[in-house]
Amino acid sequence: MPQGILRGVRVLELGPLVALPLTGRYLAALGAEVIKLETNRVLDDMNYIPGWKPGIGQPEYQAMKRRITLDVRHPKAKPVLEKLFKISDVFVTNFRRRVLREWGMDFTQIREINPNIIILWQTGAGSQGPYGEHKTFGNLIQHLCGVSPMTGPADDDTPGTANNSYSDYHAGVFQPTAIIAALLRRRRTGKTAFMECSIFKAGAVTTGPAVLDFQANGRFPLRLGNRHRYAAPHNAYPCRGDDRWCTIAVFTHQEWRGLVQAMGSPPWAQDGRFLTAADRVRHAEELDGLISQWTQSFTAQEVMERLQQAGVPAGVVARGQELAESPQLKDREFYRDTRYYIPERGKPGTEWEEGEEKVIAWSVPIRFSETPCLSGPMHRIGEDNDYVYRELCRISPQEMDELNREGVLS
Amino acid sequence: MQEAAAAPDDDQLLAGYRVLDLTQELGVFCGKLLADLGADVIRIEPPGGDPSRRRGPFLKDVPHPEHSLHFLYYNTGKRSVTLDLEQPEGQALFKRLLAKADVVVESFPPGYLDGVGLGYEQLRKVNPGLVMAAVTPFGQTGPYKDFKASDLVLMGMSGWMQITGEPEWPPTRQGNEQSHFPGAQYAALGIVAALYNRDLVSGAGQYLDVSVMEALLTYYTENHAALTWLLSETNVGRPGVRSRMTVPMGVFPCQDGWIALGVVSAAEWESLARWIAEATGDDAILDDKYKGGTHARQAYYDEIIAYVIGFVTGLTRQELFTEGQRRNLAVLPVATVEDMLNDPHLAAGDFWVELDHPVAGRLKYPRGAFDTDIIHPPRKAAPLLGEDNQSIYCHELGLSPEELGALRSGGVI
Repeated sequence: MPQGILRGVRVLELGPLVALPLTGRYLAALGAEVIKLETNRVLDDMNYIPGWKPGIGQPEYQAMKRRITLDVRHPKAKPVLEKLFKISDVFVTNFRRRVLREWGMDFTQIREINPNIIILWQTGAGSQGPYGEHKTFGNLIQHLCGVSPMTGPADDDTPGTANNSYSDYHAGVFQPTAIIAALLRRRRTGKTAFMECSIFKAGAVTTGPAVLDFQANGRFPLRLGNRHRYAAPHNAYPCRGDDRWCTIAVFTHQEWRGLVQAMGSPPWAQDGRFLTAADRVRHAEELDGLISQWTQSFTAQEVMERLQQAGVPAGVVARGQELAESPQLKDREFYRDTRYYIPERGKPGTEWEEGEEKVIAWSVPIRFSETPCLSGPMHRIGEDNDYVYRELCRISPQEMDELNREGVLS
Repeated sequence: MQEAAAAPDDDQLLAGYRVLDLTQELGVFCGKLLADLGADVIRIEPPGGDPSRRRGPFLKDVPHPEHSLHFLYYNTGKRSVTLDLEQPEGQALFKRLLAKADVVVESFPPGYLDGVGLGYEQLRKVNPGLVMAAVTPFGQTGPYKDFKASDLVLMGMSGWMQITGEPEWPPTRQGNEQSHFPGAQYAALGIVAALYNRDLVSGAGQYLDVSVMEALLTYYTENHAALTWLLSETNVGRPGVRSRMTVPMGVFPCQDGWIALGVVSAAEWESLARWIAEATGDDAILDDKYKGGTHARQAYYDEIIAYVIGFVTGLTRQELFTEGQRRNLAVLPVATVEDMLNDPHLAAGDFWVELDHPVAGRLKYPRGAFDTDIIHPPRKAAPLLGEDNQSIYCHELGLSPEELGALRSGGVI
């Protein structure tokens, strides 16, 4: 049984991709025993991230889970499933309700098996309403959340995006938060909980004050690129090297004075066009051009260091290299070395080879003074069948042999 | 499955917990989340008002402490008292509030609260069960801990900007000030976990250090820039509106705007290819070489994208959305804030909650990420400056009206 805050709490996780596995990952890092129910027959698409060897990205999502296999469509799977629901405090899934029903896992059935179980159902858009049955992916849902059209330069209407499913990550943190709160409430009131969280609404919550600006002032969010409506200079400035940039964000007069001094007090900085913040916002284009002339003769790191010394908010636009080598992240031991396994279709997960490369996984970015988050390796799919089915579910060796022979645990 | 009836307030997930919210922009969403889950969140503002009240955009574009739409957005469901934490009387009053609180969340520069005598070590003496969380740009330790930052700086330093936008654009930040969310969300997760630990495991409180830069890094794990560098010494660039995760996946310009469209399974490709063939009369897209699931079509990226663009250009967002979903395809219109406010699905789920504010009037606010009876929509709009001074200082702490008056004239509240 793992140590950590949630020791003694058992979570059954069923589902692929991003937000749901992250939910289990956070709960595992907090000490819950997370049992991930999978099958060797269908592999999570996140095994195959373009540009990476298969399987390399999986430790980020699956670290420290107890991984078991079960063919939920097999007629003999039902009694096994019942045992799993009986031993769990929490069930999390992102399958559609219709599919869950086909597998004998409708939420009302689960509640009959275990009346105390807390259920978190992650959906794409939210089950109530016209998009309830719609097909969605996190990567596309982000564009329903109002942010893409307000991201990007003023002279281009292409939706701006980092092309990652950021609303998935929001849901991935909202969900364990509500689950732990529901565990607190269950201890306080004896009541269980059923909660639905959708990727769409998890993103829609983070659209920000622009939704109020539109209602109150009838204004569409301005596309300002990296500029700011009320502050200048506020942009990414080109530095020495190819595609190298440093951001500078000046809000106060003191910061403006610091910037001017760091640049060697050029005569143009005394120009009437740049006296007040409002002046600088009005003349942001010329100002950005002049500052760029200065930044271009230094590396992004040099610009950041000079300006930070002068008390000016500034930072390199980090690429993978800067993040991998960041002195800040190293000092805080943000990345941990870990191992991964190479997926092979048609072969049980327990027989997959370990990858040769050194890979890293981040540590959960919450530093508790007394109960640090746990970190640990990712198990292979099916590695924990014996532990979970025999020790926890108390299935006898003879029954296990039979289930294995008939392909139920595959 | 729905619970029988709406739960009363004391049945909320975090009913009975009190949070003192001392945050600025990087932590303010944390208190909002805890309030959404039912905690009693008291915003502690300096006597002149929280600095974010001076942050635009403003209602009717008139700068006024009760007009900041930024403040209104991030403070729904909270109460407000004013208090000068730098004056001795203010600190004494803060400690009295603290004795009845469970959580303090703050986002001052590292060391500031220690400097004024209100750091965790000092506060835990008053309340040993205290859970205190700090949300700062880079965390409480490390060579960058004292660096000054803003949304722009953090989006750059976390690598988000390097991967946002079209390949020919400069690095670009997201328009919603994305850095205000992940750190605050992790702090909320940590706080709830620390409360669980205190109340069900150890009985003791603790201190939580959350770095927004680290939090942001976990929000684009599928692009994992640091891991990509370690594996291949290449830097992830700006991919633009189309992902290579599968082909096609991304945003395309249609007749009246932009549409998001993606294919993952072989069946979905089959459905899309047939639709394109029917609409364009061109059967070449049905070629076997394009068939398959996640791994297929990577070698034909340019051709496939050209087919899709040629096809969607002739159709409207609504036509593509309706027909695409009928064909079991993930097709979604790219939405503006206006589209969101008019979205029939969000309306059906009562996502937009109308809240009245004495100065700002009635506006619609998001309900939250959850659809469940036990998480209520925000109970009230953001508080007026010092709205709860009387009820908290007099009714709860037992100050007399004279004492309250003296604190006010002394500039403490």
